[in-house]
Amino acid sequence: MPHVLPKIGSADLTIDEVAARLASEFGGDLVDVRVQEPDTVVARLDRADLKQVARRLRELPEIAYEMLNFVAAVDWLTHLESVYHLYSFAGNTYLELHVEVPRVEPELETVSDVWPSAEWHEREAWDMMGIRFHGHPDLRRILLKDDFVGHPLRKDYVDLVENHPNA
Amino acid sequence: MPSRFETEAPDAAMQLALDRVRASEEAGRGSDMQGLGFNQVVVNMGPQHPSTHGVLRLVVTLDGELVKDVIPVIGYLHRCKEKLAEKRTYYQYIPIVDRTEYLASMNCEWGYVMTVEKLAGIQPTRRAEFIRVIMAELMRIASHQVALGTFTADLAPLGTALVFYMFRDREKILDLLEEASGARMMFNYFRFGGVRYDLPDGWVEKCRELMARMPRLIDEYESLVKDNAVFLQRCIGKGVITQQDVADYGITGPNARASGVPLDLRRTRPYSVYPELDFDVRLGEHGDVYDRYQVRMDEMRESVRIVGQCLDMLPAGPVQAGTLRAPYVIAPPPGECYIGQENPRGEYGTYIVSDGSRYPYRLKYRDPCFCNLQIFPKLLRGNKIADAVAISGSMDMVLGGIDR
Amino acid sequence: MGLTDDLGLAALTEKLRYPNINQFEKPNVVTTTVDFVFSWARSRSVFPFTYGLACCAIEMLSSGFARFDVARYGMEVFRPTPRQCDLMIVAGTVNEKMAPVLKRLYDQMAEPKWVISMGACATSGGPFYDGYNVVNGVDKIVPVDVYIPGCPPRPEALFQGLLELQKKIQKMRIVPPRPKPPDDD
Repeated sequence: MPHVLPKIGSADLTIDEVAARLASEFGGDLVDVRVQEPDTVVARLDRADLKQVARRLRELPEIAYEMLNFVAAVDWLTHLESVYHLYSFAGNTYLELHVEVPRVEPELETVSDVWPSAEWHEREAWDMMGIRFHGHPDLRRILLKDDFVGHPLRKDYVDLVENHPNA
Repeated sequence: MPSRFETEAPDAAMQLALDRVRASEEAGRGSDMQGLGFNQVVVNMGPQHPSTHGVLRLVVTLDGELVKDVIPVIGYLHRCKEKLAEKRTYYQYIPIVDRTEYLASMNCEWGYVMTVEKLAGIQPTRRAEFIRVIMAELMRIASHQVALGTFTADLAPLGTALVFYMFRDREKILDLLEEASGARMMFNYFRFGGVRYDLPDGWVEKCRELMARMPRLIDEYESLVKDNAVFLQRCIGKGVITQQDVADYGITGPNARASGVPLDLRRTRPYSVYPELDFDVRLGEHGDVYDRYQVRMDEMRESVRIVGQCLDMLPAGPVQAGTLRAPYVIAPPPGECYIGQENPRGEYGTYIVSDGSRYPYRLKYRDPCFCNLQIFPKLLRGNKIADAVAISGSMDMVLGGIDR
Repeated sequence: MGLTDDLGLAALTEKLRYPNINQFEKPNVVTTTVDFVFSWARSRSVFPFTYGLACCAIEMLSSGFARFDVARYGMEVFRPTPRQCDLMIVAGTVNEKMAPVLKRLYDQMAEPKWVISMGACATSGGPFYDGYNVVNGVDKIVPVDVYIPGCPPRPEALFQGLLELQKKIQKMRIVPPRPKPPDDD
């Protein structure tokens, strides 16, 4: 099997060096870069910059973030948030990106063309939280039945009678 | 609810499959070069099917026996676990985490308990760390036994008889785990700061005796299938996962290691006492079905080694860090954390957001099977339907984790 | 009563409390009712349906293999298609997405059919009772004959449930009892 992926940990940088590298490389796009022990860098991102930062992270020389672990959607009552958790083989470090999404029109660009595994994670975020992803190839419900009404993981979700035909 | 004499209208997934068939026919791809028309049939495999290992539904577009397209439909076991986390305290939630990947309960509990301990700043005791490793590795052996047993049982309906041997020995491991924790499957054993019960008297000797016998038993399993020409022909070269796929689709665990990627969180992101233990990360060469089977067999041997070492190194001391007392409430300070750990199926972890109260604010699972399942359409295209069964068995799906 | 001890039927009848077996003066001849024989055959060769949904399915599998052997009770013929089964063991949580499938599979089984609800989730929703997607008990969809509590129930608990079902099947009669006329006093 041809070895396409870099050797794990081949970049040999400490987590602080990685954080400094990301801060300098991405300048104003990545805000509030900090280190969470032992090997995660956490940063915030504006939703307009998401797509191009994602592309650049995937192709970053030396510590490319090639694997997407999960996309979590969190409901802070004033706004929603989408959390992307990435892994870099060469750097053997994780990167957690927080993107704030307004509650009224929760829309984001999809990253499923950068990391194909985002397809199902974004479908789940749409299903559970109602964040709509532009450009997603197939945005439909994944875990709930097709005619389910509402997005259950929102804090203001109320159990509806329509969703319980068998109760 | 449709009555028994009505045929239902196709639902969203079936409709998508039918639309794709129609689109391919309209685009001129509905026949081959000689002008023979394909007869593309959309067939439902599941959600109740003996070979899909749980309530997984595959909407398969078939041309004869050749699989043209697969649309996996999940959610038939969605039990609202992430929402339930917001209604249960941290302690009350431990039994629910058990039921996520029900074949590897100890590992799942560990994935949750580790994150909460990090958030709350609790350090488990040293004896508890070793006991946790022993339990996790025993559970890994048991889980691989079920995985490989059901995989070979699907290739020929219970024909290889491997599954009987595996389940017989799995009962021995479950006996040990039952003596320590009280339950056969959903253990509810891990606590924040340690484990619930100390090991009973004589447990260490029994475990040592079983681990002494285990390598010979694993040899017995291998000898049942490794010279079987039909098994080899059905497994070698099928369902190849390339290294690029591993990164693209987030595949972890034995499925990634079979493709030659040494991604093992016990080595790349060591937790607990794994840095002090001596074991190898077993890799495959080609990433096909046979390699995934072989990697799991080898991992069972490595787990036996690890358990032997831990039993020798087990220190005396308490098994809880003094946090387990009434009213069993823990309220970590506000923050968020994700720690992944090596489940028998891949990287499993919980991402927990805490707001300082005794209920989690948001709990998200990073489930390995959910990520592994995404590659199904790519793997199954172009194979025959019988290979689809072999490939899906080798990927080791547990729907409890996929659907949560 | 003319019962000889050659076949040991006296002791057997006493022990099993089967009132329907009688023996003539000579051994080797036994009379009984057709109901009894049919129900006895039905109950001792039930074909279960592999409807394992969740964690309880693993205990159902374990009960089918070497240590806990369900073949002792005549039920080792697990069939994946409902058309060939008598008994549907619902093992696991049923949710709203799965409920129509469950109903359809139940309808596809031929009479006489029985349902065992195995585990806490199938009985009443289990630990997930307050989920937005969970049906609190499979008896809201299909009629249940035996409930087996546990999370998951041990294979021995499953066997106790199967034996209760056998007792229930044993009571089946081909001809329903004629309604008694009201007493005219």
